[in-house]
Amino acid sequence: MTQPSWQSVFSIVLASARMRFLTITRYPGQLVLDTFIPIVFAAMPILLGRAGGGESAAEMFQRNTGTANYVGYLLIGSSVFTIVSFAFWHLAYWLRWEQESGTLEALYLAPVHRIWVAAGTALYSCGRGLFAALTAYFLGALILRFNPLQGELGLALLFILVGFIPLYGMTLLYGAVILKVKEANALVNLMQWGVSFLMGIFFPITIFPPLLKIIALLFPPTWMTNGVRSALLGIGFFLGEWYLDLAVLWGFMLIAPLFGYWVFNHVEINVRRNEGVGQF
Amino acid sequence: MIDLCHPSRLGSNLSKGFVPSVDNLETLYHANRSINNHAMSQPVIIEHLVKVYTVRQRKGLFRSQKIEVHALNDVSFEVKEGEIFGLLGPNGAGKTTLIKILTTLLLPTAGKVFVNGYDVVKQENQVRSSVGCMLMGERGLYWKLTGRENLEYFAALYHLPPKKRKQRAAQILKLIQLEDIADRTVETYSSGQKMKLAFGKALIQDAPLLVLDEPTNTLDVPSASELRAIVRQLNQQGKTVIYTTHIMAEAEALCQRVAIIDRGELLALGTPDELKASLRSARITHIEGVISAQAEEKVRRLPQVRRTTRSAKNGATLLTVVSDEGYEILPDLIRVLGEHGARIQKIIPEEPTLEDVFIAKTGRTLAEDTRVRS
Repeated sequence: MTQPSWQSVFSIVLASARMRFLTITRYPGQLVLDTFIPIVFAAMPILLGRAGGGESAAEMFQRNTGTANYVGYLLIGSSVFTIVSFAFWHLAYWLRWEQESGTLEALYLAPVHRIWVAAGTALYSCGRGLFAALTAYFLGALILRFNPLQGELGLALLFILVGFIPLYGMTLLYGAVILKVKEANALVNLMQWGVSFLMGIFFPITIFPPLLKIIALLFPPTWMTNGVRSALLGIGFFLGEWYLDLAVLWGFMLIAPLFGYWVFNHVEINVRRNEGVGQF
Repeated sequence: MIDLCHPSRLGSNLSKGFVPSVDNLETLYHANRSINNHAMSQPVIIEHLVKVYTVRQRKGLFRSQKIEVHALNDVSFEVKEGEIFGLLGPNGAGKTTLIKILTTLLLPTAGKVFVNGYDVVKQENQVRSSVGCMLMGERGLYWKLTGRENLEYFAALYHLPPKKRKQRAAQILKLIQLEDIADRTVETYSSGQKMKLAFGKALIQDAPLLVLDEPTNTLDVPSASELRAIVRQLNQQGKTVIYTTHIMAEAEALCQRVAIIDRGELLALGTPDELKASLRSARITHIEGVISAQAEEKVRRLPQVRRTTRSAKNGATLLTVVSDEGYEILPDLIRVLGEHGARIQKIIPEEPTLEDVFIAKTGRTLAEDTRVRS
């Protein structure tokens, strides 16, 4: 079969992203609230640390993490977690929302692979997640009084951008599960807390037992978080150099989307053989 | 009213083959037409189609049992180019399953289905490019977007470039007379307006085949009539239409040929006149009044009577009697009903309708839900 041109496919990705942005503009309050979530999320352990650690809180923190800037450390963790959480919520909830509203079948009637519509949703999610994370980081730095411009901001951003692709590859796996089991909320909740634990939003994964540490290192968000922290706070890359850590993320970038795509396609065919994608 | 499907406007001209206005779509549509000549000869060819799927039957709070549902059983027919083809049957007959297979939403369990010459299993994108569908009614729309935004988004999914999306959306909004509310979010539309927009969505890629699944559901009488007029207009301009409904009068007024489907099986196929003519040897008499089930049973036992159905109408009972005789049976009918306490208000010997054809074939009225059984 002749495939549509890349220009046409790219146009569909953009149209899908635009459609999501248009929809969220109908709920403007949501966009504002997005930026406060990471700050509130980070503020809790920061205040707990101040209450429990007292004057020596920074010193104790440095001993375990490699930086005394525990405020920056935790705020970076919660900001990157916002991106990861948005990825799961937006992709998973997108599928579930389309299922429930009846528009999923309308998408399946169009001569375009669903992966490109999903890519549009991912693009929207990246934009919204990045905006919320950056705003929260700079606003949080202002509120919690630390310098947000320290370290290498460009390198931190590069880790986030490279990390997006394997992250959304993972969400495709997740989308496949939702397509089949037709449930999103409990699964996303479970997943986001599991991932937040494994990516070490509030602590270094070096404190994990060896087996758990290996599992954590299989998750691209773990490398994203550590890459951003190392670039901004100098806590140290997992493999010593920034380019080695980035190479690992590149590796994930090649594997995760392909694997996610393969599983999604497989589940999709299975669903179409049986009850169809429209049932919810 | 704008002539949306005039060849000079949108390039639809079936005599020259389907010519989508976008290069990509055209490439998709014309690619790999390596199907045999028979498959290409008609817009829709269905051969021995079977669809079986499994569902879970609940057996308590946490227990369930898998059961097989035979939704379609060896269905075969063709839809001819340029006709309005009615697919009739009660709720649960298998119409929507059939339509979903035609539009690639479901995969068949067995059999072959060709749409515009393309295999629905192997060439799904070509099938999708060549069919305009209205399947989910108002549920197939994004309620937080405006009518115009909905149409433009779906136009993008059919590979139309940005400028053409706007043009096409404007043309369709004019055709379905929703221009005044085009920039309001769909959630503020009435149910009928949403249905019209969903219908407009089916026209977005100007496909040669339209598949409309109960498009007049939830429409008021004038809106339903308007929509049927647009369907007729599109058909006169060359589009083939598959129209599912459980309203027989609608099918009779609109469709050139109809297939009656029930419990997953094709029961009858032909023009409305042919189907009605097949009942000519049978005569139909409607009797209104207070008629008990026992009286109906006695009528059914009369030797001239083939079958009967009893339903409610305007607070009374309507007994429909299919028999071998016309007026000759009336004395016997009146006698038997009178003997069993029936109070007759009206007797109407009638020319058969499609509803009567359905009753003759199935022994039930269309009002009955006949969900396919496991």
